[in-house]
Amino acid sequence: MSSYTLEQTTAVQVSDLRMRYGTNDVLHGVNFTISRGEVLVLLGPNGAGKTTTIEILEGFRMPSAGEVKVLGVNPATADERWRSRIGVVLQSWRDHGRWRVWELLEHLGSFYAPYAEPGRPRPYPTEELIETVGLTEHRNKKVSMLSGGQRRRLDVAIGIVGRPELLFLDEPTAGFDPAARRDFHDLVHRLSDLQDTTILLTTHDLDEAEKLADRILILNGGRIVADGSAEELAHQVAGIAEVRWTQDGLRQVHATADPTGFVRELFAQERAAGAAAGPITDLEVQHPSLESTYLTMVAQQEVSE
Amino acid sequence: MSMDSAALRHAVACGAHRGRVEFMNSVRAGQDIAYYVIVSLIFLVVLFLNRNNMVEGTDVSVATFMLPGLLALQVVFAGAFGIATVLATEREDGTLLRLKSVPYGVVGYVAGQLVRVCLEIAFSMLIVLVPAAFFVPNLMSDGPLAALGAVGYLILGLLAVLPLGFIVGSVFKNPRSVGGWGMLVMGAIVWVSGIFVPLATMAWWVQVLGQLTPTYWLGLGLRSTLLPESAVVVEIDGSWRTLLTITVLVIWAIAGALLAPVLLRRMARRESGSSVAARREKALQRV
Repeated sequence: MSSYTLEQTTAVQVSDLRMRYGTNDVLHGVNFTISRGEVLVLLGPNGAGKTTTIEILEGFRMPSAGEVKVLGVNPATADERWRSRIGVVLQSWRDHGRWRVWELLEHLGSFYAPYAEPGRPRPYPTEELIETVGLTEHRNKKVSMLSGGQRRRLDVAIGIVGRPELLFLDEPTAGFDPAARRDFHDLVHRLSDLQDTTILLTTHDLDEAEKLADRILILNGGRIVADGSAEELAHQVAGIAEVRWTQDGLRQVHATADPTGFVRELFAQERAAGAAAGPITDLEVQHPSLESTYLTMVAQQEVSE
Repeated sequence: MSMDSAALRHAVACGAHRGRVEFMNSVRAGQDIAYYVIVSLIFLVVLFLNRNNMVEGTDVSVATFMLPGLLALQVVFAGAFGIATVLATEREDGTLLRLKSVPYGVVGYVAGQLVRVCLEIAFSMLIVLVPAAFFVPNLMSDGPLAALGAVGYLILGLLAVLPLGFIVGSVFKNPRSVGGWGMLVMGAIVWVSGIFVPLATMAWWVQVLGQLTPTYWLGLGLRSTLLPESAVVVEIDGSWRTLLTITVLVIWAIAGALLAPVLLRRMARRESGSSVAARREKALQRV
């Protein structure tokens, strides 16, 4: 029974996960957990092992070593009931090109019907889902006639048609325009808040990671190099904030680890100087962006290797 | 346990629906219709040109002799070559992976293929048989019971060749190699399986090869039910060899039914997002 209670709070548990293709090690002992209801973003350069990690968790790939539990079960030996609780957003290419949008969603959804649970009706009603992902006016279109962004929204719809408890998204917004991206972010928030869906997503868009993530993992060279919220990560690289202001027509820049203290000091000096110096204007405090944190961490890793 | 078998049955039903949708999509697509019509026209022209020629030493029209073999060919073509090509294509384009990501989706996929191929065979036979009935002499001279026997052979023949389609489709890596090698093998099978010319009149080694194919035996079985008794003289040993025909087809079916699920499972296990992506890269380079 103890594993059951653990399962109620932990969606994913990975310990010492290793993956080797031939003589090439892709994952060197990866450890992390995802709590129920959490949105975890996996970041990392190409070839870092993100897709391999996700595919192992999805049960599509056998790890070389290590222990993996997804919703309390080892994905490599999981049954179809487990499968019904997982959502996978795949990137469509040419599959089901002749099917109409509503027809495909209804068909793939129909496989989930035997797995409906109290409080989690399965599948998601087709028309509601089509509306949720914003494909209402394209519902009768053939899949091959959709634009890239519309296709991606269909992929997301297929991923959530079974009302998953845990959703995997591998680069879901690649090729989205800014409006589609914002709609997608709203959708992720809704899934996470209203449906209590645990979400693991990978992206190259650091802005997106910052917006969506409860927690960020940075994977580099097959190792986890950082684990925490965007702010925590910034602190880990000893984040230096930049303070900018204008005084006597001159633009000033100062880097500091304690911007609040520095600004307090700055105004104290201004008061002390009285009429001897002009007033401070255009004050800005810029915290390190996730982008600079990320680049610093990946660079540090490369140096240490 | 009962929950699981109920879910399995449900997935088969979803798959049957899938097969019907795929068939209707195919009938609605101009490309596929053109293909059905052209193949049927070729068959009909060959039959029409041979309607008054007699098979040597008999009073049976060459057209009448050929028709059962053409039906056998349709079964083998759709059941083996067709399934193999579709399977290889749909692995490459991610269809199979998509189904793998839903519960019992691969079961539904296979059920869908079976239903689709049955509908496709029935459709393509109908568009040959209906026009052929107007000019091919002595067809079904043995009455409706014989027709029932023919349907029985068609089902047995389909069971014998379907696993072959799944096996070839899961072994080959991409649809283009299935297309190339498959066409070559299909051509050879047509030649050695006594569809256009009685196998008994061909060289001994062609007879040996022909009798290794399910096409020959399916054709023989169909001829035994659809042709007048007098046509038996052109067959090997001057006999319909009914018991042997059924035995050979059943052996093919059992061997395939044992091997196909193993290979299918192995193939399905290997599908993942990155394996589909890798094949997509390769395919795009070729285009």
